[in-house]
Amino acid sequence: MDKQRLGETLRPYLMIAPAMAGIFLFVLYPVVFLGYLSLYDYNLMNKAKSKFIGFDNFAEIFSREDFYKSLSNTVFYTAGVVILTLLLSLLLAVWLGKKSKFNVFVQAGIFTPHVVSIVSIALVWLWMMEPNLGFLNYVLKAFGLPTSEWLQSSKSALMSVILVSVWQGIGYYVLILVAALQSISPSIYEAAALDNASKLRTFWKITLPMISPQLFFILVIMTIGSFKVFDTVKVMTGGGPNNATNTLVYYIYENRTTNIGYASATGVVLMAIIALLTFVYFRLLSRKVHYQ
Amino acid sequence: MASIAFKRVSKAFDKHEVIKDLDLTIEDGKFTVLVGPSGCGKTTLLRMIAGLDPQTSGSVLIGGKDVSRIAPGKRGVAMVFQNYAIYPTMSVRENIEFGLVNNKVRKAEREELVEGISKAVGLYEYLERKPSTLSGGQRQRVALARAMVKKPSVFLMDEPLSNLDAKLRVQMRIELIELHKKLGATFVYVTHDQVEAMSMADTIVLMNKGVIQQEAPPDEMYRRPSNRFTAQFIGTPPMNVGELGESGSLFGFRPESAVLSEAQGDEPFSVRGVIATREMLGSETIYQVRSGSGNYMVKCSEDLFAAGQEVYVGVPAAKLHFFGEDERRIDEKESSYGKCMEALRGRSHG
Repeated sequence: MDKQRLGETLRPYLMIAPAMAGIFLFVLYPVVFLGYLSLYDYNLMNKAKSKFIGFDNFAEIFSREDFYKSLSNTVFYTAGVVILTLLLSLLLAVWLGKKSKFNVFVQAGIFTPHVVSIVSIALVWLWMMEPNLGFLNYVLKAFGLPTSEWLQSSKSALMSVILVSVWQGIGYYVLILVAALQSISPSIYEAAALDNASKLRTFWKITLPMISPQLFFILVIMTIGSFKVFDTVKVMTGGGPNNATNTLVYYIYENRTTNIGYASATGVVLMAIIALLTFVYFRLLSRKVHYQ
Repeated sequence: MASIAFKRVSKAFDKHEVIKDLDLTIEDGKFTVLVGPSGCGKTTLLRMIAGLDPQTSGSVLIGGKDVSRIAPGKRGVAMVFQNYAIYPTMSVRENIEFGLVNNKVRKAEREELVEGISKAVGLYEYLERKPSTLSGGQRQRVALARAMVKKPSVFLMDEPLSNLDAKLRVQMRIELIELHKKLGATFVYVTHDQVEAMSMADTIVLMNKGVIQQEAPPDEMYRRPSNRFTAQFIGTPPMNVGELGESGSLFGFRPESAVLSEAQGDEPFSVRGVIATREMLGSETIYQVRSGSGNYMVKCSEDLFAAGQEVYVGVPAAKLHFFGEDERRIDEKESSYGKCMEALRGRSHG
């Protein structure tokens, strides 16, 4: 009898055990190990020489100039990518919201970069942004406009990386917003027309609140994604010139062999920043988001 | 206040013409119901008045003024949609207020109006709620309040009761009649339900395939249907219609006009048949009588017969309707009326 009850109690845990094992192994263990490493002056060649140093790694992080440089780069990059992508994808989605053959074609075109590897995209843009022979400066020159040094100047390098990221990501978000816009019942717009609402007011008071869940989703997802940017930086600039495009994840990557403990500590800091940001978003904005 | 007039109005959707050269005048202050089967063009007419789907050609006049080029929000009309079209992101108050804010009504006046209307429709306690927390009937009231608060001269309603349960629908029907009396505005109401049309309308406009079949008060529509379609659309069960012989003319009678008896009477229409089905509805009983010349529905106030019983169906002369070859009504004064009566009598008793 007791044996049977024990079986009843244990069965659900047994059922979820494989999945839990996966989560422990591939999610929790790495996170815990990251925290463990961050407290050590870890020696990769000889584990015995590793030394527990408490929060010294963190103290070092917050005293180093290059960390603040990469942090401010990351914040600037994230702000640029999130704001530009949200604005542009909203604009495009409103334009593409009406169903027509031409719009479907344009939408497919905008979405295409999303299915191409970011490495290929970064490479192509790298060539296009070459200051002397690149396509972008050629076009600018042809129209008599001032050219740019693009990735080769510390002034414009980060902006150039932002440009590529926005170009690559926008199609996906346009798709989400177009779907959201098309799901709004047309009779609501008709009611607004009968209520004598202007186009701008209709957009502000009806369209935006109606797609606010999707906008909020994009905001959160993109902020997290942008804070973790790596591949574009790795391929296009390698953090340069003069650390102008060095972002947090690339900073961690640079320190991976020389000082894994320090790199891990930076990883923990990054995790904390993203968690904090997401928390703040939910606190500040979730009341403005309308869920059906 | 405002009357509405359609002048040679046509409407096409992608070259498919739904309404062609239609003329119609809707009287000021009347409760007019546009009724017809789905796809007959009644909603199209309503949306033309609102300006949501402007006509392809012709003109629409509201209060004698051509509104063809006037935006929906500036026509002085308000509309209640079938799905209510409430703004889901706004509170009940914001929903009702939205049109007033757009029309730049002052805040103090706005609040007074919103509170007055919400009390009138029983929504006062719900003003700060989101529509998603309201019941179907309450949402219906929000839609009504939103229309009423603008004090429009024309109310347009597109099957507003079709999403309510049967009991609430009957209650709202009465409330709408009272509302119309109180406001005295022009009501244009679209429905496919002839009972709704009969119960609320001052004037019924019955449409089929984009053409107006008859335009009349409910009692006239019921007693003197102008053609076969009208006769069979209005009334439940519909009018019994049978062929009269070689002439191609038709005769018809309402189910409640027939008398069932065990012996043959001397009515002009009298036919022997067997009761196939019996529906006992409480205050009345509906029999389906199967005879050699066809099936007839008969509605009796007394429940005297059983299924399988042999009976005579008799209809007095005054209750008979005749329709010509073209399915149009043959009036009592027309010469062919007598011929039709003779033909029917000959067939029944000959």
